[in-house]
Amino acid sequence: MRLAVRELLRRPGRFAVVGGALTVLVLLLLFLGGLLDGLYLNSTGAVRTLDADGIVFSDDARQSFLRSEVTADVRDDIDGVDGVAETGGLGFALLGVAVPGEDDVVDGAVIGYELPSTGLPDPPASGEAWADRQLADEGVEVGDEVLVGPAEVPLTIVGFVDDTNYLQQGALWVEPGTWRQVLAENRPDAVLADGSFQAVVVRIAGGADPDAVRASVDEATGATETLSEAEAIEAIPGIVEQGATFTAVIGVTVFIAGLVIALFFALLTLERLGLYSVLKAIGGSSRTLVAGLIIQSVVVAAGAFVLGGLLTLGLLQVVPDGIPLQLEPSRAATTFALITVAAVLGALVSLRRIVRIDPAAAIGAGA
Amino acid sequence: MLLATREIARAKVRFGLLAGAVGLLVFLILFQQSLFGGLVTGFIGAVDNQDSPVLVFNDQARRNVEGSFLRPDQVEAIGEVEGVAAAVPIGESTYTVEAGGELVDGVLFGYPLDAAGPAAGLGAPTSLTEGRLPERPGEAVASAADAEDGFDIGDVVRVAAEGGPEIEVVGLGEDLRWSVAPTLFVDYATFEHAQRAANPSAQVVLPAVAAVRPADGVDLDELTARIDGAVDGVEALTNQEVVESSPGVQSVNQSFQIILLLAFGVVTLVVAFFFLILTVQKAKPLTLLRAIGAPSGYLVRNLLVQIVAVMAAGIAIGVGLVMAVRPLSTGGAIEVELRPGTVVPTLIALTVLALIGGVAAIRRVLRIEPIRATVDTGSELA
Repeated sequence: MRLAVRELLRRPGRFAVVGGALTVLVLLLLFLGGLLDGLYLNSTGAVRTLDADGIVFSDDARQSFLRSEVTADVRDDIDGVDGVAETGGLGFALLGVAVPGEDDVVDGAVIGYELPSTGLPDPPASGEAWADRQLADEGVEVGDEVLVGPAEVPLTIVGFVDDTNYLQQGALWVEPGTWRQVLAENRPDAVLADGSFQAVVVRIAGGADPDAVRASVDEATGATETLSEAEAIEAIPGIVEQGATFTAVIGVTVFIAGLVIALFFALLTLERLGLYSVLKAIGGSSRTLVAGLIIQSVVVAAGAFVLGGLLTLGLLQVVPDGIPLQLEPSRAATTFALITVAAVLGALVSLRRIVRIDPAAAIGAGA
Repeated sequence: MLLATREIARAKVRFGLLAGAVGLLVFLILFQQSLFGGLVTGFIGAVDNQDSPVLVFNDQARRNVEGSFLRPDQVEAIGEVEGVAAAVPIGESTYTVEAGGELVDGVLFGYPLDAAGPAAGLGAPTSLTEGRLPERPGEAVASAADAEDGFDIGDVVRVAAEGGPEIEVVGLGEDLRWSVAPTLFVDYATFEHAQRAANPSAQVVLPAVAAVRPADGVDLDELTARIDGAVDGVEALTNQEVVESSPGVQSVNQSFQIILLLAFGVVTLVVAFFFLILTVQKAKPLTLLRAIGAPSGYLVRNLLVQIVAVMAAGIAIGVGLVMAVRPLSTGGAIEVELRPGTVVPTLIALTVLALIGGVAAIRRVLRIEPIRATVDTGSELA
């Protein structure tokens, strides 16, 4: 085993080529993962921040906020369901936002809400908004008056909230009246009746069974579809497809990394067949030899991970703003785990060859 | 030449692993390219294949059809700009529709069927492959990709809202989806009808954008600038600009380019390290071959043949894999399409990159001194 480490230390150049290929693969994996996380987090923040036990849509909306309408009557029915502790109206308006001092209009989602949550303070006063922290990157500051939509409805930013974006649009959280006004002035074609919301957030009483409460809500109203938070996230356009596609691509990439390592160590083993038979002849076991190989592959993978990680951080600085790249520590950890497992499995491909080495070959008596 | 192929035949595992790795990379690249192609046509096909040389957006819409709407007076003002032969309102919205007995998302594009003169046909789909264009309210052209899901000629699609219009599909066109959803091109009146049924509280029905036909001989870029200057609160774009700057397409485009670039890099590196190691390992026999008179050109040719052979096998594996997963994608939200226009250049580029990757190994071969055959030659890598 010490031999393996020494070889690594004394002849790092020998592993440079495979390390280089793996580094690019790590870069690819982190980039893909970062893209997936960025797309996911930025699309779903608004739903995740609600602390909702249930989100009620009208049953003809196909689980789309923008097409859903829950009327005041229906809301009353929801309030009356056993196990429902509190409800809050929710409405979205996707509009351009003009930031003072900036030339470009940024993508915004004005969200009217009633219930505060852990990540979301009580609704601000009329005409004011909590802005998602990502809007700060676009030049939004506390105290700014941003203009929303073609009608340029002014909203004063009174503070920031984190991780609350919807469909890649910067969230502006407002009280329901302000949301209604924004909608009426900008999208007169999408206005809802007074008292109606696009959806209703439900929190259930302690001890009640969420599934049962959600089912009773739909039963009581006869006109709604109530989703859990996880279901509502999956209902956001593109989330499931994105996840499946990226996971498949990441899977293939990890497999390729495993193949590259397998290939390299198979070649290396071939080169060392003579040496290995000598080592075996002087008492080295197959296990020691394989362990050495595994150590080398893991060290190479770890080195590639560090280099690839640094390159990704560099890439993060230069990618255009349009790319929603977001690097999460959990993603880095998973990538490291995947690449290490691929390295170990790849090195094990040479196991059979090493076990078959005949120590007698060292003195020319073997095959 | 036989030497190269014989070596491959003797070391099947080694070359097999390499061909496998290359094959997977080829698969990854082709799969992502086709996915990207499918995604882009799925997102913007409806506008790409629409008779709308210039489209005018609300300037707050960030070039997003969904986020745009125009007031009637704006559409009228656009029609009066010098160089505009005709301007018509185009309605666009997504609804829950009932098609083939199921509720699905459906997009309506409404354009005026009764327009005459230069306005006639503005906003109509241009990629009709079957049937005919709508001639009256309640008729539609759908995307051929959705024909099997209740959007075939003769099928009736209902906007699932109280009093929603029933729309009969009378024609099919290629690549007419919008935002990866089934799309119907209908009369503007049908769009208004759907809009009122879907949201009875709405105060008005507004068009999303305006389609403009330029007068003969007018430069499109000049015209868009003139419209922007003449009409308040609008942004005019050529059809091509709309397709390229569509928000989804642009960020997807950049991301895919980086991913593809990395994948191309991996192919080059993997091929490079494999053949370099192989050459180093073969240093002794190669030196011997040189010593007994084999020209280095012969050895280099052997190497090139092997690289091409590995790439050919890898490409066969990669293309085979794409073909194998293709059936899984058809009918899904995004179709995996293999277009010769992208596939062939990609495969050529990959082979060229692999040959470039072989340069390190080739240099190694060229550096061999036959005289070394008479002394001990190390087979060290470095």
